[in-house]
Amino acid sequence: MTARERRTRILQLLQLIPILSVLVILFGGALVMALLQSLGFAPWFGINTFPDFSYFGSLWGSQTFWVSLWLTLYYATVSTLLALVFGTMLALALIKAFPGKWLYKYLYKLPLMIPYTVGIALAVIMLSSGGVLSRIVAFAGLIDDPGQFPQILKTHYGWGIIAVYVWKQTPFITLAVYAVLLGIGRETEEAAAILGARRGAIFFRVTLPQILPGIVSSTLICFAFNVGAFEAPFILGGGFPDTLPVVAWRYFNDADYTLQLQGMATVVSIGIVAGVILFAYLWVYRRYERRMGRH
Amino acid sequence: MAGGNDTLSTRLSPFQKIYLLLVAGFIVGPFLPVIIQSLAFRWAWPELLPGTWWLEQRGKSMLPLAWDYVLSPYSRVWEATVNTVFIGLVVTAICLAICLPVARLLARESFAGKSAFEFFLTLPLIVPEAAIGIALLMIFIRLGLAGSYAGIIIAHLIPTIPYMVRMLTAVYQGLGRDFEEQAMILGARPLQILWRVTLPMLLPGVVAGALFTFLVSTNIFLLTFFLGQGQVITLPTLLFSKISGGNLDTTAAGITLIVTLPGIILLIISERFIKEEAFGKGFGS
Repeated sequence: MTARERRTRILQLLQLIPILSVLVILFGGALVMALLQSLGFAPWFGINTFPDFSYFGSLWGSQTFWVSLWLTLYYATVSTLLALVFGTMLALALIKAFPGKWLYKYLYKLPLMIPYTVGIALAVIMLSSGGVLSRIVAFAGLIDDPGQFPQILKTHYGWGIIAVYVWKQTPFITLAVYAVLLGIGRETEEAAAILGARRGAIFFRVTLPQILPGIVSSTLICFAFNVGAFEAPFILGGGFPDTLPVVAWRYFNDADYTLQLQGMATVVSIGIVAGVILFAYLWVYRRYERRMGRH
Repeated sequence: MAGGNDTLSTRLSPFQKIYLLLVAGFIVGPFLPVIIQSLAFRWAWPELLPGTWWLEQRGKSMLPLAWDYVLSPYSRVWEATVNTVFIGLVVTAICLAICLPVARLLARESFAGKSAFEFFLTLPLIVPEAAIGIALLMIFIRLGLAGSYAGIIIAHLIPTIPYMVRMLTAVYQGLGRDFEEQAMILGARPLQILWRVTLPMLLPGVVAGALFTFLVSTNIFLLTFFLGQGQVITLPTLLFSKISGGNLDTTAAGITLIVTLPGIILLIISERFIKEEAFGKGFGS
């Protein structure tokens, strides 16, 4: 390597520094600090019992933690799956030509552009016991008091939370799948049809394997987001036991500041659970890709 | 062509037509009662439409009640809008400045640890936001950054960098380096090349990346809420405080519509710049 080459090399690496400092120091640093604190390292509170597994012990030892974990994963999984089905169906419809398609290409992206809190507001006005759906049911003469309307929000079934996630994430998955569909063209589907494949077979054996990369990447992002989301379960959830991010937030804001370490153990647990599930998901997907002879 | 096989037809099947209508209703429909609510004077259960509209009571207030409040300083809507736009612009500028050189390297050079670096770049997208938010808050309290604009701007960089790098890398990959080499042969200096050749050619991609980053930043709730400590309010956190009780009164309906407005504007602008094809890439592969 000549001196000149070495100089350009060093210059190139210097350009990586700003981004690395944000990601390594802040993002990585935050995760490492969270881990240290959850293991009893908090000298600023006069607590330093590192390494101390008692915070994880008392957290994982309580039954409510497992209920919280179950609720978190249940909301995240159900809404990701629903968004996947609705989004793929929408992408398959959008590649067709139809009048008003230009309008749809704006319309379906609207939820992508606005905050989750707007989605929550919409869920409140539609689904609450005094909401639009309840009024329609009353108009149909089925109930005559808002209290008779079956409770949709603020239950542990989480229909409101799921509705908000699906509303917001269906467009995201549509976008990813639609982009891949545009890229692959229709030749392979046509070939399959000429060879006599039926509709279902064409979708599951020709189209689906090709759009799978888009599906995997977008569902990964949605699932991870749902596991770590705070605002929808906080407003629309069923209360105690809450989902893990809400639990962590409550620990963190407790008057007893030593509970912050318990909160950190909750945060680290969220990270571990999300990490294990996402890596398992990617691992299965990679194996499938290898079996298909890709990569 | 196989008869009756409408997967391949370029037209919609009847089922798809119904589905598209349902999707439109699902996405846009819920906004209708919000608009009605913001214009209502009294809308009691079980009326399908308000019993008393603002128009009938306009003697009592010049504007619909919700809008009268929303447009007054008491609602803090203006403050939240200014904060949202300011934070979004600064985040976009910083993000662009630090991601451009990285995207260039990723698109053109190969170096040891490149794929590991690329994987690391996507990590912020798949680590749950609550974990990052609370962990960062702990650090920011120590550093005195909690509740400050600087703290929120730095935090917003974490989820925006992955998207920006991906979009800009795609732009650089499509660019090729012939034009820059020609300028160099003709004796242009590196800065001249950057300013006169590279940037103009990159511009459409840069605009797309910047719009998308601005969009992501203005939509962030959790990081702003956790790290802002109630001292810096943006549109998403303002709306959160209005609806956290689980009710949507007329003023909350008005604020919901205000919070939706920037998204609609961005949607109309960005449709011209952000191409759907840009999202068709696999993840971490």
